[in-house]
Amino acid sequence: MTRTRIPVLPRGVRLHFDKVRGKNVLLAPERALFLDDIGHAILSEVDGQRSVAQIARHLAAVYNAPEDAIAGDITEFIDDLADKRVIGFTDA
Amino acid sequence: MTWNKPKAVEIA
Repeated sequence: MTRTRIPVLPRGVRLHFDKVRGKNVLLAPERALFLDDIGHAILSEVDGQRSVAQIARHLAAVYNAPEDAIAGDITEFIDDLADKRVIGFTDA
Repeated sequence: MTWNKPKAVEIA
């Protein structure tokens, strides 16, 4: 995936906070994934408007971390979620 | 806040 692609949560996929376990969850039809704080921070920025590069730039400022390293981590994370079909792209 | 590699763990 290139960093210019714009990720989007498909219909029926949403973020949820499981109050019982105190964990963030990505809910999708027939499956669910626990998210750590960073995973939740990334998916909270997915709005179907901004590219991976734009999200990385924003989070690099928030976390005061190197943008290139963050962009690489986000790309890998979103690729993994795309393989699981719980995230899509506006141009696909 | 510190950046770490993000994780998503599938729920059984």
